[in-house]
Amino acid sequence: MPTINGTEIKKVVVACDAGMGSSVMLASQLRRQLAKNAVTVEHTPVNSIPADADVVICHRGLAARARVSAPDKVIVPIQVFIGDPAVTKVVNAVQRGGELSG
Amino acid sequence: MTSSYTPKVQGQGFRASVQRLGGHLAAMVMPNIGAFLAWGLITALFIPTGWFPNKTLAELVGPIISILLPVLIGYTGGRLVHGQRGAVVGAVATMGLVVGADVPMILGAMIIGPLTAYVLKLFDGLVENKIRPGFEMLVDNFSAGIIGGVMAIGGVYGIGPVVEWFTKQAGSGVDWLVDKDLLPLTSVLVEPAKVLFLNNAINHGVFGPLGMAEAADKGKSILFMIESNPGPGLGLLLAFMVFGPRALRPSAPAAIIVQFLGGIHEIYFPYVLMKPKLILAMICGGAAGVGTFMITGAGLVATPSPGSIFAYLAVTPKGDYFGVVLGVVIATAVTFAIASALLGFGRGEPAEDPLGPDEETIVDPDEATNKSAKLEV
Repeated sequence: MPTINGTEIKKVVVACDAGMGSSVMLASQLRRQLAKNAVTVEHTPVNSIPADADVVICHRGLAARARVSAPDKVIVPIQVFIGDPAVTKVVNAVQRGGELSG
Repeated sequence: MTSSYTPKVQGQGFRASVQRLGGHLAAMVMPNIGAFLAWGLITALFIPTGWFPNKTLAELVGPIISILLPVLIGYTGGRLVHGQRGAVVGAVATMGLVVGADVPMILGAMIIGPLTAYVLKLFDGLVENKIRPGFEMLVDNFSAGIIGGVMAIGGVYGIGPVVEWFTKQAGSGVDWLVDKDLLPLTSVLVEPAKVLFLNNAINHGVFGPLGMAEAADKGKSILFMIESNPGPGLGLLLAFMVFGPRALRPSAPAAIIVQFLGGIHEIYFPYVLMKPKLILAMICGGAAGVGTFMITGAGLVATPSPGSIFAYLAVTPKGDYFGVVLGVVIATAVTFAIASALLGFGRGEPAEDPLGPDEETIVDPDEATNKSAKLEV
């Protein structure tokens, strides 16, 4: 299972089915939360996760597809789109360091 | 990262494969939704029964739906398979379907675009590293030109008639469902599939193309509204806001704004997945909405995407506002009533968190500082 230290995260990718709806919304929230950190946040379709992604966030219903399209990335499955604790953990890891795996 | 809350990610599974196939279909349509809406708005405004009938501007309607939209989809489908070269041959081949067809070849474009790009990709793989230096451009251009041209001819005589036949069969199947008053039953399949993240696949892969065929013929289609009705999601979120688990209630209003006004339905899926019995409320609400649309004879002129109430009203033809709004309202009310009952009207809702300790992070002070930012979506 891939792991990454929060301080090494340069790019967070938020993925959803089409890369146009829920991922855009979550990515814009996340971008605001990480505005002061040197981290880029992108949104993409779950089938085409870019190779330079460090962490992939997607709904757990799409996590199996994310795993296929990005087998060596840390994948963070979420359950709800607003206020999910898993997203908070990513933010904390980026801001204060700490291991992420998934 | 792993806990009971965030389960391990593994395997491919049947659902993931279906999602992936559907994702490909949706990926061909969704980047082009702007063109569909342009067509829908022009149609609603300028056709003889529209708001401002205008013969000159109404000339746009036919060519956009029969040529532009299929070609855009063939182009996008080709690009997904083989980049810009794939896009070009996909568009060329789609012209072979478009010419002479009397239904909009949206479905056909979804087949021939990627297929032609795939043929070119195979050819490119075959000749890779075998071309004499200096001849690359010659080979590249003529391989694309010949393969695109041949596939276009194949489209005219082969794929075109087959897809046209299939589209007409599917259309008469839908007519049969409408005649027999069975259309609301589609909700039994659609609503569960939707919350499993097949929403785009169903709406843009199935109902969208069939709806366009019907809309080109009759000026509007009920098929656009089967998956995309924002009513059931609104009803569910309202039920959660009033009677849901206490920890989830505060997030419901923001979710309602995103779902009902913003049209991002995905936001309510987790609420159903957490309490799967609520799917019953979604099915009944969806069916009630479809039933209302059917009885009032309502339809939309184009795919409302995203499925926001604003998108709905924008593509509602003149004279159908009553049926469209009524269907959304009834779907909301039915879903709300049944979901509330299934949630026990909030009775027996434990004071503490029902989802386990992990959920507490939602209300921890760290999170609270971010809350204002989160809610202004």
